[in-house]
Amino acid sequence: MNREDAVKIVMQTLEKNVDGLEMAEEKMKESLSDLGVDSLDVMLIIMDVAEASGVNIGDDQAEELDTPEKIVDFITK
Amino acid sequence: MLGIQSIASYLPKDSVDNMHQADRLGADRDFVQHKIGVSTLPRAEEHDSVVSMCVAAFKQLCKKESVDLNEIECVVLCTQNPDGGGLPHNSALIHAELGLSEECACFDIGLGCSGYVYGLSVIQSFMSVNGMKKGLFFTCDPYSKILNHDDKNTCLLFGDAASVTLISDTPCYILEKAQFSTKGSASDALVKNDGILEMNGRAVFNFALQEVPKQITSILNKAELCIEDIDVFLLHQGSRFMLENIIKRTKISEEKTPINLLQTGNTVSSSIPLLLESELSNHSNRILMSGFGVGLSWATAIYRLVK
Repeated sequence: MNREDAVKIVMQTLEKNVDGLEMAEEKMKESLSDLGVDSLDVMLIIMDVAEASGVNIGDDQAEELDTPEKIVDFITK
Repeated sequence: MLGIQSIASYLPKDSVDNMHQADRLGADRDFVQHKIGVSTLPRAEEHDSVVSMCVAAFKQLCKKESVDLNEIECVVLCTQNPDGGGLPHNSALIHAELGLSEECACFDIGLGCSGYVYGLSVIQSFMSVNGMKKGLFFTCDPYSKILNHDDKNTCLLFGDAASVTLISDTPCYILEKAQFSTKGSASDALVKNDGILEMNGRAVFNFALQEVPKQITSILNKAELCIEDIDVFLLHQGSRFMLENIIKRTKISEEKTPINLLQTGNTVSSSIPLLLESELSNHSNRILMSGFGVGLSWATAIYRLVK
């Protein structure tokens, strides 16, 4: 998957699942908690991103993905 | 034809204020109330036991129905936290407490949150094949006995309760279709280690959101029904957030799918009968129930009103 598609998936998933969040490139390196994503939202977001990208994200790997940028990096590896 | 005639339940009088628990554990109150969806957790008191809570549920049943103890031919209990470690099987102890006839079959079933859907099918099948007409199906799984009270994953979530369902040959709901599934390879997501419950919240969440909508869709297809043919969806009350997202993914109506765990928490195999108890009087034509959890195990059934 190219980076552009990955960024789109991650941004759309975040906006869909977090009330009032509007994503922008400059927010990609902010922590998910600073973006208003709580521990339950994270589980949903990781699952949605995995399904949309077709990339399996294991439990241990998911724990490390604490910014949108890291999620993008993971699914474009 | 056997089916569900009536349901009663029992919630222990003692309870835990989940907001106080949230403060103690450094959890956000708003998160606990609106995302987990639980403000109060009923807790078994010291003198409560699985048997005493089941007997208390039965006493509630007797306030609604005229139950002739001599007619009860079968008692089944679903629990994974029985009194005395399950020896003797607690259904036999309930049998003794209720003073039932010796001509009565009693056995326990060890299942968690899928236990109500499974257990209903088991007791109806057993009674049917053995020509029985009246039976009692109990659920009671006091997780408070196995919680680590410092574990935010679990102690903010689980409440204690008991239920009893009267199965009889004069039912108001009969089974139309049921489907059962197991993913034993993922059973380590919910285990009891050294007597303490451990839950991988992410694994359980992923399992529920991925498998439950698929099973609901599958059973509707097999029954040649569509979502609109179901009047009420009674889903295991795992957590508010989980339920809201299962509803979205299954594309079922929020109005038809009650979320009611604010005052009870997740009561394991008792969560569906607690909902069904208040639903019975509405006389909805078709009710779909879906339970999912420990095992990992999930089961869905469609029940139809007897007119």
